[in-house]
Amino acid sequence: MSWTRVGKAGEVRDGDIRTYFIGDRRIAVARDGDALYAFDDECRHQRCSLSDGDVEDGTVMCPCHAGTYDLTTGAVVSGPPPEPIGVYPVAEEDDELRIEVDGA
Amino acid sequence: MPERIAIVGASLAGGTAAATLRDQGFEGEIVLIGEEPQPPYERPPLSKEYLRGEEPFERALVRPEGFWAEAGITLRTGERAEALDLEGRTVRLAGGDEVPFDRLLLTTGGVNRRLPVPGADLGNVLDLRTVADADRIRAAMPEARSVVVVGMGFIGAEVAASLRQSGLDVTVIEVFSTALVRALGAEVGRTVEAFHRDEGVVMRFDDGVEAFEGDGRVERVRTKAGDAVECDLAVVGVGIRPATELAEAAGLKVDDGIVVDERCRTSAEGVYAAGDVARHDHPIAGGPIRVEHWNNAIKQGEAAARSMLGVGEPYADVHWFWSDQFDHNLQYAGFHGDHAELVVRGSLEERRFAAFYLNGGKLTGVASLDWPRDVRRAQRLIAAGVSPDPAALRDPEVDLRTLVPD
Repeated sequence: MSWTRVGKAGEVRDGDIRTYFIGDRRIAVARDGDALYAFDDECRHQRCSLSDGDVEDGTVMCPCHAGTYDLTTGAVVSGPPPEPIGVYPVAEEDDELRIEVDGA
Repeated sequence: MPERIAIVGASLAGGTAAATLRDQGFEGEIVLIGEEPQPPYERPPLSKEYLRGEEPFERALVRPEGFWAEAGITLRTGERAEALDLEGRTVRLAGGDEVPFDRLLLTTGGVNRRLPVPGADLGNVLDLRTVADADRIRAAMPEARSVVVVGMGFIGAEVAASLRQSGLDVTVIEVFSTALVRALGAEVGRTVEAFHRDEGVVMRFDDGVEAFEGDGRVERVRTKAGDAVECDLAVVGVGIRPATELAEAAGLKVDDGIVVDERCRTSAEGVYAAGDVARHDHPIAGGPIRVEHWNNAIKQGEAAARSMLGVGEPYADVHWFWSDQFDHNLQYAGFHGDHAELVVRGSLEERRFAAFYLNGGKLTGVASLDWPRDVRRAQRLIAAGVSPDPAALRDPEVDLRTLVPD
């Protein structure tokens, strides 16, 4: 496990979702009020980009078919996805935005 | 508090309602009655992933197979409800059994419309609503080379796309001037027409079926314009009528669907309806509406379940649905009326857009093609009943969330 710097602290604004590449993995980072989340950008159902959706109450809803994931656990809350997404520790320290991804 | 709840229609709406009753803590008897032999399943994959053989049937189940027994819900599938006795509070099944109830939910769905033309009963003239229908089409596909799809509403367009993707020559015959006219209007419909044409689907608009012809099996479709289209398979997708026979016979108020109030209550005490069959007095839509989509089947099924337990609230969801065709994602939310003004964010020509429908300035609907982000956001604006500045709607830089009144 290692922390990877992906951007600057504060560059993901409240209500926004931005995507970052770590290796060939596309990871979405979202801020919703005081909460910051990092998760796989690709929906497990039909591979739509979750960063085109919105984060609300600790969940993200896929904009294509409404599959909804819990952003703390990655679990499917509702909708068609067959399996959970990966979620990752994310932090802002020393003016940097960092994500912890294993094997990166 | 009711003790026994019967649900006629083991569908997405019916199955969701049954599960919701348990989620809400209802501990009484639940009997879910369905004519099809399968446990409740979702129909969207039938015209898409399932039809193309990409996903097994199990993926379409409303709940995993063991759920119903675990939840103590009695499934009586493969059984037809024959009559409702509202006085005696029972549902009579075709086999003669009577299922007693204190509360009854009708989720009987719809029945495909058939074309009243010669040859409609020829072999390989098929339609699609159930998994058995989908299996019949799948069974015909390996032998088929060219197919005629009648109708370019959502089912027709999705079936046309799936069959084309499966390597068949596809000709669509549609009475309107372009695709999806009734649902989305001609401007948006033409963008769907355009990508179907790019994929090699042949479309004959402003034309209809005069007759299906062939020797036992369909060989050609004679059109109203006088042409003959050769084919070895035809799939008819010309809409449904609500399955209201039971309700009508029992004396419930029916008007193109079983009439229900805001809380899914029919004209008879203790009897509710939801899903495709229900004509619902929607608080926001500006009148009674009947909706034939996946999302409504779930949400209205949940709402009816809560209502049956007396914990319901008026069901006011802004209806939403999607339709995947080829690699395009089409979505719609709302209930725009006729003569809506269209305001486009993105580009119809480039077929990447969110199109907003305004009625008298008020946002009443949104359709998107490969532009999913703004559908959810617009849904909130529709629910809030706002009249946004068209310039703000047009400008992709404007975050629609900022247009919701506090």
